[in-house]
This record gives sequence, C-alpha cells and structure tokens, in this order.
Amino acid sequence: MSCHQTPDIVAEHFDTRLSPSARQRVQQHLAACADCRAELALLAPAQEMLLSWQHEPAPDWERSHAQSQPLAAPAHRPPLPGRHARLSWKDAGRWVPLAASLVLSVAVLTQTRLDVSEQGWQLSFGGDASNVSWPQLDAYMAAQASLQQQQNQQMLESALQQFGDNTADTLVQLVDWFEQQRELDIQRMEAGFQQLLDRDYQTVNSVQQLASYVQFQGDLP
Amino acid sequence: MENDNELIASALDGSLQAWETLVRRYEGRIYNFCLRLTGNRDDALDLMQDVFLGVYRNLSRFRGESQFISWLFRIAHNKAVDLARRRRANPVKDQGLPDDPADWPDDHGVSIGPQALAQADESNASVHRLLQALSAEQRLILELKVFQSMTFDEIAMMQDISANTAKTRFYSALKKLRALMEGHHELSPDP
Ligand SMILES: [Zn+2]
Repeated sequence: MSCHQTPDIVAEHFDTRLSPSARQRVQQHLAACADCRAELALLAPAQEMLLSWQHEPAPDWERSHAQSQPLAAPAHRPPLPGRHARLSWKDAGRWVPLAASLVLSVAVLTQTRLDVSEQGWQLSFGGDASNVSWPQLDAYMAAQASLQQQQNQQMLESALQQFGDNTADTLVQLVDWFEQQRELDIQRMEAGFQQLLDRDYQTVNSVQQLASYVQFQGDLP
Repeated sequence: MENDNELIASALDGSLQAWETLVRRYEGRIYNFCLRLTGNRDDALDLMQDVFLGVYRNLSRFRGESQFISWLFRIAHNKAVDLARRRRANPVKDQGLPDDPADWPDDHGVSIGPQALAQADESNASVHRLLQALSAEQRLILELKVFQSMTFDEIAMMQDISANTAKTRFYSALKKLRALMEGHHELSPDP
C-alpha cells in the first residue's frame, strides 16, 4: 500500500450509508489510483464473506422476564470478594492507604468511564479487560495513599489529644478506636460496592476486579 | 408506530407492552449478533437474554441523546466480552490462530455447543469461526459497520473515537479477516 488514503477509501467504499457526494469522491479517487483499486479487489471477498451470513429469527422467549423481576439478583452475579471478619492492628496498617473512600472513588470513577475513552482512565469496565491501565491505577493509588496517610496522621493526633496521656491502657484504647474506624471504613466500602452492584449490573466484573486488585495490594507485606 | 424513545418512556412507566415491542424490534439483530459470536443457538439465546436484562436494568439511564441501537450494542458488546472472559478466565485479546488451519481448535474462543452451527449452516459457521479469530475491537467494528449498517460517525460517537479511527479500524479488521480467509479457505488467488 503506497497510497496513504487507502484505509479511508476502502472503508468508505464499503460504507453502504455513504453520502452521494462522498461516494463520488471515492469513485474519482479509485479511477485515478491503482493502489486503492488493488486493495479493494483484495478485500472484497472479506466483505462478501461477512455478508454471506444467513439471518436467523430469534426463538421465542420470555421477553418480559426481566421486567417481572425488576432488580432481582441476576443468576450470573459473582459474589463479593470475601474479607477477614476482623482486622488485626497489623492488617489494619496495610489497609491504611486503601481506605474505603479511595477504593470507592476509583470504582465510581471507573463507572463513569463505562464508555471506552481514549484518554484518562482506560478501565472500560464491562468492556475489554485488556484496556485496564494498571500502571495508571497504581499511580492513582499511590497518590491517594499519601493523602490518606496525612489524614490518618491528623486522625491520630486528634485521637491522642482526646485520650490525653500516653499510658499503656490508653494506647490499647487508641488501637481499638483506630480499628473501629477502619472497620467502619471497610463496612462503608462494602456497602458502596453493593450499591454499585445493585445499580449497574454492567460494572459487576469491574468492581470485583478492582476489589481483588485492592485485596492483592493489601496482602503485600 | 411508536419510536424508540416513546417506547422507552412507556416501558419506564411500567408498560409491559411497550417493553415487548421494543424488544421485538431489536431481538433479531441482537440474537444474530450473539449467534455470530457464540456459534451456537443455546449460548446465543442466553447471551441475548442477558443483553436485554442489562438493557432493562439500565433503561432509565438511556438519555436519548444517542441512538438506541448504539446504546444497545454497547451493552451487547460488553456482555459478550464478559461472557468471553468468563469462558476463558482471561481477557479477550488479539489472539492469533496457528498457521496451519488443521491446528485450529473447533472451540476457539467461545465454545460450540450441541446445536453447533456447523451442522446447520456452513456459511454461518465459517463467519463465526473467522470472527472469533479477530480481536474484540475488530469484531465490534465489523459488527457495527457490516451487520448493523451504522455510519462511521455513529460508530465514532458510540466508541468515543474519531471517525477516522473508526475507518482505520474497519480497514485493519477487514485486512485481518482477508488474511485469515486465505489461510483457511484458499478462496481465490492473490490478485
Ligand atoms: Zn489511493
């Protein structure tokens, strides 16, 4: 192919909905360009092969089944990823950069990106998983993690003020309180996931994928 | 005859009849899309039902700015990719076939079930088989252009790409298909 217009010309030639003026432009180009003519001749059998498809009528089926069970759980819905019932202090530390707000913001972000976009997020959930941009997600996670660390620090400081002196008893209290905060955080996250699942069946795979990714990262030492 | 948007509005108001009219209007196109993809009628029916379930559940989100058919096929495509992912347990990618057609697996991609098309319709079966050898993106552009007769502008809007990108994708998909045909069928010699 030495004519740079070939992809255009070929595509437009096979376009059954081309405007008459565009059709004329294609014809004129073809009359003058042997490269495009040759490419057209080469590719015509591919188009013909596709058009050899014999249409089959859809079999009879329960069309209003969906409507008779509005928002019932569909059969294929995968379960939410499991988690440990109660996090130890050590594990909670791992969750620090991955708190609910962060995970949910990613989930919501991706949901709004259900349409494949050529820029920004390529998560295209419900679409082709090969579009998932893990490095971008990593970068986003890292940025959010440092923000989260700052918030944790503030939380810790206000907690210390509240508990006053730094005896062993109050430290245990503090740890408990901190764990509770994290537990609440995770509960909120789960509720958020569930909401997403209930609202939009298309994002099920994506959210689950995201959740398992987050879990995986959380399991790292 | 009521247009799509009117039917959708009625369906959202709870009209079963409007919903069925809408479904009947498009089920043939969706069913054949599913058939081309799965290669067997049982799976095609399952997938079609899954698509319309997704459509129903998301109906209130349809804004009416784009054509219903674009929106419908976006859901259909997503469901198809989900299905392929479930079947293969890994993402749909541009998977090449072995050079020798004799090595092509019968169930390349989505499996062929008891009602395999090969028994019923040779040409549909070969369309299915060749499409399976394309990437999901390539399959989609051929589906929308050749079978759904959408314009490149409509496809561009639906996929958030430029019309030129849509044309280039269509061209590449056709080229890939042609190369596969040569490997598989020995239809006609090179010009
Ligand atoms: Zn040319």
